[in-house]
Amino acid sequence: MNPRVAQTVAAVVLVALIAFPFVAPTATYEHTVLLLAFLVAIQAISWNIISGFAGYVSLGHSVFLGIGAYTAGILSTRWNVHPLALAPLAGVVAVVVALLVGSVVLRAKGPAFVIITIAMLLLFQVLTINLPELTNGSDGITLELPAWGRDVGNIPFYFMFLGLMVVTFGFSAWIRRTKFGTGLVAIREDEGKAAAIGIPTTLYKNLAYAASAFFIGVAGAVYAYFLTFLNPLGAFNILTSVTIVLAALVGGRGTLWGPVVGAFIVSFASEAATVYGGGSQSRLLLFGLALVIIVLFLPDGLLPTLQRRLAKRREVEYTDHAGAMDHRPAEVGTREPIKPQPGPLLELRDVHKAFGGLKAVNGVDLAVPAGSITALIGPNGSGKTTLFNLITGTGGTHTGEIWFDGHRIDGLSPWLRAHHGLGRTFQVTRLFKSMTVLENVVAPLESFSPRVLASGAVAGHEADRARDLLSFVGLGRFENERAGALSYGQQKLVELAQVLMLEPRMVLLDEPAGGVNPGLVDRMAGIIRAANRQGVTFLVVEHNIPMVLDLCDPVFVLARGEVIASGPPGVIRHDPAVLDAYLGEVTA
Amino acid sequence: MTQALQTIALGLLIGGVYALMAAGLTLVFGIMNIVNVAQGAFLVLIAMLTWKAWQLTGLDPILLALATTPLMFGLGWLLYRLVVVRVRGTTPAMSMLLTFGIALTIEGLLNLTAGNYFRSATPSYFAQSFHIGSIVLPKAQVYGCLAALLVLGLLYLVLNRTWTGRAIRATAQNPSGAALVGISASSVAALSFAIGTATAGTGGSILSVLYPFFPASHYEWIARLLGIIVLGGMGSLRGAWVGAIILGLAETITATYGSPRWATLVFYAVILLVLLVRPHGLFGTRLREDVAT
Repeated sequence: MNPRVAQTVAAVVLVALIAFPFVAPTATYEHTVLLLAFLVAIQAISWNIISGFAGYVSLGHSVFLGIGAYTAGILSTRWNVHPLALAPLAGVVAVVVALLVGSVVLRAKGPAFVIITIAMLLLFQVLTINLPELTNGSDGITLELPAWGRDVGNIPFYFMFLGLMVVTFGFSAWIRRTKFGTGLVAIREDEGKAAAIGIPTTLYKNLAYAASAFFIGVAGAVYAYFLTFLNPLGAFNILTSVTIVLAALVGGRGTLWGPVVGAFIVSFASEAATVYGGGSQSRLLLFGLALVIIVLFLPDGLLPTLQRRLAKRREVEYTDHAGAMDHRPAEVGTREPIKPQPGPLLELRDVHKAFGGLKAVNGVDLAVPAGSITALIGPNGSGKTTLFNLITGTGGTHTGEIWFDGHRIDGLSPWLRAHHGLGRTFQVTRLFKSMTVLENVVAPLESFSPRVLASGAVAGHEADRARDLLSFVGLGRFENERAGALSYGQQKLVELAQVLMLEPRMVLLDEPAGGVNPGLVDRMAGIIRAANRQGVTFLVVEHNIPMVLDLCDPVFVLARGEVIASGPPGVIRHDPAVLDAYLGEVTA
Repeated sequence: MTQALQTIALGLLIGGVYALMAAGLTLVFGIMNIVNVAQGAFLVLIAMLTWKAWQLTGLDPILLALATTPLMFGLGWLLYRLVVVRVRGTTPAMSMLLTFGIALTIEGLLNLTAGNYFRSATPSYFAQSFHIGSIVLPKAQVYGCLAALLVLGLLYLVLNRTWTGRAIRATAQNPSGAALVGISASSVAALSFAIGTATAGTGGSILSVLYPFFPASHYEWIARLLGIIVLGGMGSLRGAWVGAIILGLAETITATYGSPRWATLVFYAVILLVLLVRPHGLFGTRLREDVAT
């Protein structure tokens, strides 16, 4: 959907929603149906921040509604404060709970998070039942009645929820536009890669989870006042959670408008089913079936599916030939070394790594001179990529020491290593395929400070620099294409531009010429040389031996996890041990 | 002292039943990386069917497992072939959403057809007990545990002594390797899913005697089972055993010395604690794929 069309439609609908209670002040039933739809929308939009943008599905997200509602309910009766005055506090309590739980599970990928979110909802049910001193147990809490007269009905709540929905949407839209938002999408697409380009993934996920809790907590307090009665099973309701998930899925998970559209569809459908289709008894069955059907047949949601149908994608002819790309020199620029250290830039000391009984890396000592293009070659399975993973921090535990630029870096997270100026590319390119080329190149974080979170995703000097780097690798005119649409060789170049965005002192290249059109290999070598002249040190794993011998000095040869030879290319070329390793060992 | 022994005996008895129920869940996760959230709903569905059959025919509820187990095997096989297979290869979250949808569908169906109130099958031995010294062992608990151990033993034999079992274990360890030596991944997946749900067949029939249940009981049951396999290590059968015994004991001890209303909380506490301290559980492979390590 064209953003401008979407905005116009949204503005018209919003005006209509604001006008409605003035036009029809006595339509209390319609007001109530709508305000409950707003409530679903508030939750679905919030859910979308952690589960849509960042891809961590929460199945118990209504727990924050219950937490907000109970915060208002408990405190308003104890402190004798108006429940609405407690709404911000209710939001804060929800955030605190999210941070506590998130700090435990969000260090992880995989099913742990989903399990915890269900468990949390059920846990709060049990807790509110089991702690009657605090919550009045199963009997529930009764709040004061709304102060306004009967004649206004639910209109004040209507506007409160409408306002909250608009604010929540604005918050979500703002997040999506920031660097923080791009970081979340990067995590969804490829978490390991996101860490490798300097994104502090654990922190981002926790912030996203907290952000997804706040407005639901606030809405919970308003909801408590609206209901005037709270009980454990109603406040921590599994069906509410399912409604949230359904709404976001129907509309389009991860999109900006999807959760809003989905919330209205699901709310109205559920209301219609209750009125015309057998009452609320059948709602559970209908929601269950709907969830199954949507996961099976409409996993992307309505908006993205419609968008694909409507927009006939313009087909662009892509080519790997150098002539199809523009050439412009660019400043690659590396950050100044904080304190220049004598000796090698990267040094490995007696590094061992075993997978069970297999010694993948066995006592490697290796020093990469500052300013060099160093090669690491060796037959398949000799431990090259494992060594790369250890250096960049994705390879797991190992023994030995890794020093970079005078700092010992083993034990640091991948993103901290990236912030030190250590970048890498991958053997099989790992771009964020749904982002544009330009978004990919601006995604890296060369350093992290809280200010980064709020800065625009594609803005200012960063975008300029990204465009320069894209020109530098010759792909300037592809900046608005989806990265997934590019050819393999072009993706390798984009990945190189991406890693140069880190202003790295050193780049690890994993098979830069692997699977690339021969015409592009020379270009790749040229780019590496040019970046090297501007101060970037390279460590290259490559099977294209002519390219290695031409480009690199010194060359390290790895076989069976050990360095069997090292030296200038001229020497390596004739080393019998190297020939042996490549051509097979002579059996006695 | 007697009370302690009594508590431990009851904990072990219920642990055996939990072990069977959890074995199916962990097997499915180990082989296809799917957390079947509907396992709890399958248990309650079968408990309801068992209860109905017992009402109509007077047959022993636990013996009815002879019928319900193959029934769940068939249902699981069909469900995999028709529905679950479509989410293979997507994210674990999508498969969890799917099985969650299946669970809700079952709960909704039970609500509409059977009504939203507690039931329990009460065969003649329901209120009787074996007395060993001063320890009282309710007959229902003993029979239930024996039936569960029998089926677990069968499962063990199938997995360790048959070609099919080897194929399943091979696929769990290395799917592509298994495919290369001629094991059809889709047949193994369908088979394991069916075996996983079949354990809910036996488990559900036993449940109908041991615990009162109603349609929404499945949340409590899936929480129990998840607690067990998270503790044992997801995907590990041995872990399911050990986790079930530990949590069976922990639940019974909490109920005896603390209060029954806090007993269910043991499972949530375990889920949180284990994921915090030792995310891969006692015997599991890494559940929490830490990015940093």
